[in-house]
Amino acid sequence: MQRSRYSVLAASLAALSLVATACGSDDPADAGGPVTLSMSAWTLSSTPEFQKLADAFHAQNPDIKVEFKEYDATNYDTQLTADLAAGSAPDVYVLKNLKNFVTYQSGDQLLDVSDVASSLGSSANGLANYKAEGVTYAVPYRQDSWYLYYNKDLFAKAGVQPPAATWTWADYEKAAEGLAKGLKDSGSPAKAAYQHVWQSTVQGLALAQTQGADLISGDYGYLAPYYKRALQLQQSGAQVDYGTASTNTLQYQAQFGTQQAAMMVMGSWYVATLVAQQKSGAAQAFQWGFAPAPQRDASTKDKPVTFGDPTGLGINAAIDEAKIAAAKKFLAFAAGEGGAAALASIGVTPATLTDTVTGAYFGVAGVPTDELSRFAFTNHDTKAENPVSPHTAAVQNVLRETHSAIMSGSSPVEAALDEAGKRVRSEVLQSK
Amino acid sequence: MSTTTVGGPRAGGADRARRWHRARRSLHGVSFVLPNFLGFGLLTLGPVVALFAISFTNWNVFGKAKWVGLDNFTRLLKDTSFHRALLNTLYYSALHIPLTFALSLGLALLLDRKLRGVAFFRTAAFFPYVTSIVAIAIAWNLLFSKDFGPINQVLGFFGVADPPGWTASSSWSMPAVIIVGVWREMGYYMLLFLAGLQTVPPELHEAARIDGANAWQRFRNVTLPCLRPTTFFVTVMLTIGSFKVFDLILVMTDGGPGQSTLVLSQYIYQKGLVENRFGYASAISVVLFALCMVVTAVQFAVNRRRNG
Repeated sequence: MQRSRYSVLAASLAALSLVATACGSDDPADAGGPVTLSMSAWTLSSTPEFQKLADAFHAQNPDIKVEFKEYDATNYDTQLTADLAAGSAPDVYVLKNLKNFVTYQSGDQLLDVSDVASSLGSSANGLANYKAEGVTYAVPYRQDSWYLYYNKDLFAKAGVQPPAATWTWADYEKAAEGLAKGLKDSGSPAKAAYQHVWQSTVQGLALAQTQGADLISGDYGYLAPYYKRALQLQQSGAQVDYGTASTNTLQYQAQFGTQQAAMMVMGSWYVATLVAQQKSGAAQAFQWGFAPAPQRDASTKDKPVTFGDPTGLGINAAIDEAKIAAAKKFLAFAAGEGGAAALASIGVTPATLTDTVTGAYFGVAGVPTDELSRFAFTNHDTKAENPVSPHTAAVQNVLRETHSAIMSGSSPVEAALDEAGKRVRSEVLQSK
Repeated sequence: MSTTTVGGPRAGGADRARRWHRARRSLHGVSFVLPNFLGFGLLTLGPVVALFAISFTNWNVFGKAKWVGLDNFTRLLKDTSFHRALLNTLYYSALHIPLTFALSLGLALLLDRKLRGVAFFRTAAFFPYVTSIVAIAIAWNLLFSKDFGPINQVLGFFGVADPPGWTASSSWSMPAVIIVGVWREMGYYMLLFLAGLQTVPPELHEAARIDGANAWQRFRNVTLPCLRPTTFFVTVMLTIGSFKVFDLILVMTDGGPGQSTLVLSQYIYQKGLVENRFGYASAISVVLFALCMVVTAVQFAVNRRRNG
């Protein structure tokens, strides 16, 4: 009796383990069958690029499916870091900015994807940013760059010549003065320009366009001319001042999209946003285009220098080994021409730019197709806003506070930049 | 003898039954409080102990933490941003605590009467406390807007030629945040004071009135002493709340302009969650914890001396 009771128990356990094993082997990766990869994403409802990439990849690789784990866009890095630390992060994750790449890489959270990188060759812009000690840890699928957006109708109304590919900041300032006067004379309430409250709008361009400028140097004198120009433009009334923009929580999309500003320096992602907003009615209908960001001087007119961080894809170091091949295949697709064409077809700027990709981008209804916009899209030297360093996040914090102090008029430009240098040297560069 | 023989096992059985009954009752009691204690242990005590341990390391969330001894604390001594955050926290507390205390007590005294529509006014005063902090910050930022805000327009109407820049000015941003903080929290503390006022015996007031005490004398010599337990509780809670202020500042000014409204909680957030320096952030948390403990201990000591 006793024995038979044990036999029943053993048989039950065996049956249970068989069921469990069967469940385990249900993971298709083990059997070489269909694979489902999980991937991080944010605001899926208004960010179609993730689904577009997944669908385009699945169409070419029916055995591999990509499913999303959605994060909050603003707290993306915090939430992802928590999930990685807890071991519950997705198989493939997006590196939303370069600032935190070092954290993931030095924390052994990214798989070596050098083989994927070598298959991409040199066509993927921004790839070098993801290399550490000779190993590549992520590949870029998007490479945004900052342009000068302009409202053709408002320029015509003010009687000011629209931007040219060769514009310097002096040309920009001159046009802003002309626009301010012309728009006022024509009875338009629009401002000449809108500069958003982010530190990037001043610091990103200054860092990219100043020879020898270094974010981690602790010397921020190179920012002075850019800040003085921004302050001068807000003092003259050519653009909304920082205090009003921050206290009224102004949205840059509304400022340009509802024709309250004739010019705006902004990232390339705004092309897709404005096209979508004009289609939906959230933005007014008007003629617009984009030009290269104004340059420090004429020496870079053939290849205008701008800034922007790539958006990368990495593989979670804790991924199931059986899924690695599929994940690498997905990365190669997303960063290659296939993914680039898919992204370009919805107005998103991919990392890989080829003639096919450019064709797909300008084939999107609503994207301006004039020569200047084409030139801005295809021809630029994009420097990273956040050069990869263990100190980048901390330095950006100090510079964010410096930005608000200068733009609000709380601190004189030189004094604030000196103070920023001192703080970076003592609080960041000497810290462990 | 026979009693011992017969009664022994019975008595032993009764003892066992009693012991089992007692144990069962204890088990029942423990089973009721255990979930709470487990929750407290796992979600409060554990993290606090971990915080102290992490503050002596350079942990950056991934991988192993390296023991750095007192390095994080000695670095704090030289960290000018930390000094700024500490001073700003004290600045905020020094104004926020007495203002909230005085206004909430005043409001409670005003609404402790049998007035028409008093329930509506009490609800209205409490309403900001349950309103979303983000909504409050956005609304007040609009009110504080330098050129278009109604506050500066009113000031202009009364002849103020150069009204403050409020949240866009490094000297006025902290007063602006304090105003909103006081406005938001005074309804909550008003409720506590209202509850305290219910405990003041009316006959004491009556006796004082018969003795010829005026309203101020009755308030000072009757109401305030009777309210002592409430005022003590309110002071302790207000102090801890002021030292920990975070969300309001994060949404209203993000610590700026510059570092004019940077407070300790936000500095902890920056170092920990933005820069992933959890060891250093933990050290700042320990300092904040110590600050709260010391001030609270002083408050307890003063209260004990007064009661004694």
